[in-house]
Amino acid sequence: MAQATDLDRRWIFLAMGVLVVGLFASGVSSPMPVSRYVSDYYDTIEALPEGSVVMLSADFDPASAAELFPTYQATIHHLMRRGIRVVNVATWPAAPPYTRKAFDAIAPAYGREYGTDWVELGFKPGDDVAMAQIGQSIRTTYPRDDRDGTAIDQLPLMSEVGDSFEGIELLLTMSAGYPGILEWIAQAGGRYDMTMLAATTAVQTPDLFAYYPTQLAGFCGGATGATQYLQLVANSAGTATIMDQAPLDELLAVKEKNQKRMVIQMWGHLLIIALIVLGNVLYFRGRKAVA
Amino acid sequence: MSSMLALQDAATPFVSLDPNGPVDIIGAWLMCFLTLSVFSFLYKDNPFYKVAEHVFVGVGTAYFALQYYKEGILEPVRDHMYDIAEVMGEPGASFSLGGYDADPTIAFILRAVAAIFGLMLLTRLFSPNSWAPRWPLAVMVGVYSALKLTGETQSKLVLQTKGLMKPLVPENVGEVGWFPDGVALESTPLFLTIANAIVVIGVICALSHFLFTWKRGRTLGAVSRVGIIVLMITFGSMFGFTVLGRIALLIERVNELFDLSEPDYAFGTPFLSPPVILTVLIAGTLTLFALQRKEGTDS
Repeated sequence: MAQATDLDRRWIFLAMGVLVVGLFASGVSSPMPVSRYVSDYYDTIEALPEGSVVMLSADFDPASAAELFPTYQATIHHLMRRGIRVVNVATWPAAPPYTRKAFDAIAPAYGREYGTDWVELGFKPGDDVAMAQIGQSIRTTYPRDDRDGTAIDQLPLMSEVGDSFEGIELLLTMSAGYPGILEWIAQAGGRYDMTMLAATTAVQTPDLFAYYPTQLAGFCGGATGATQYLQLVANSAGTATIMDQAPLDELLAVKEKNQKRMVIQMWGHLLIIALIVLGNVLYFRGRKAVA
Repeated sequence: MSSMLALQDAATPFVSLDPNGPVDIIGAWLMCFLTLSVFSFLYKDNPFYKVAEHVFVGVGTAYFALQYYKEGILEPVRDHMYDIAEVMGEPGASFSLGGYDADPTIAFILRAVAAIFGLMLLTRLFSPNSWAPRWPLAVMVGVYSALKLTGETQSKLVLQTKGLMKPLVPENVGEVGWFPDGVALESTPLFLTIANAIVVIGVICALSHFLFTWKRGRTLGAVSRVGIIVLMITFGSMFGFTVLGRIALLIERVNELFDLSEPDYAFGTPFLSPPVILTVLIAGTLTLFALQRKEGTDS
């Protein structure tokens, strides 16, 4: 028993590694039931009239892309399919390469054009202050776009967007931490009474339950939420008129992959639970033996 | 030779500078090497991990410095002031400043003052006890506090309290019943009633744990104990979500390694796939080092 309590933690890392690699190689996947938080995220976008304008804030970086980028891609598919126009901003410096890659791959497939259907305003430093300034006056915050430095007033979409979020129906954020959804809620939700949706990392998800549904209409928490939302978007993808099938095929592949990941995730959690139980059993037995 | 021919014929380029394009062969090998080097830290600190760590810090610093220089200096100072200067001489011209029309000269002066404040912050670099950085710092602290105070009071206090005033019995219960068919368990009126009651009782109990001005008698002690349980459940849930997130990241890296073991990156043969070769290389080198060190200790 002393040997078991003195177990080198590297054996645990090895066990987790073998489990994940083994299950990945086996290729088992399973669909997930959709929670009401994710279903509300989807329904809120579905309820928007065609041609509405939304603001999509990318508040993540490569470290959190595993959890948030699939939701980001699925959200763009959903918005573009529904003909909803997007003002794309970022408060994390490493986010713009992801946003450009996703929009350039997905939006043209639905026949959407830059400047009319989406604009890329890019990263703005300043955290809460930047968010407050975006709300107060988007023209002062972003005099030019991030794509090729075009003056913001020369972009047709921006003629419908004014100060104090005028013309913006919904604010979505892909939030990995600070600054993120909690700061957007404080600076935009509370101040301007904006309807808000969020996709967050699992670590940030427990903070969001307190804001739902009064200040947050719906959210996708971590990889679990991402998988559920991917299922909803992929299942309704057949209704779209699409000019290039490749991005849609990629979305379906990402959905499949995420469903596979959820099975691995479940077994990973079971391993952790088993280790916690085992650790406690050994601890109490050891205490009894000492007594 | 056959490997070289396979390399030339491969659809995946050896080097590609297109940031939106697929991963090139060099990129695939680098990604595998850096991922496996970081994972090697789980064994123990080693030179592979150190290399990956230094590359990460170097690349990150360069990227962030450029982004902040572009968005924090070039655009708000140079471009913005140039835009104002362009309309400054025109009769009746105005410039939008924070959503309000302002005289271009005033807008220019205000932005120049902000730039001077920025420079004053930098004087700390050569004179740590100088008075100069205190002024801009005072402005920053003032603005930040005001922004945080107003926004957070609204979202974390006023609206949270409003959100807590929940009806114990949902309004539609008379029409649909407590447990309607075809509705997910978590959306049924019965579930929502129980959930709302738990939230309200949980908040009261957790808050009562932080009442320090009264002596903790039998009633307050009992309520406070329930509050502790609520807090422990919250921390447990946070830990659970953290585990979920960390395993998701591990799965993503393993997924990436599987993707990069495609024949495109392995010169057309499964035996030369980057993850396999690099795992053998890194694990082999670390084992060799460990054996050498053991021999040295034994002797």
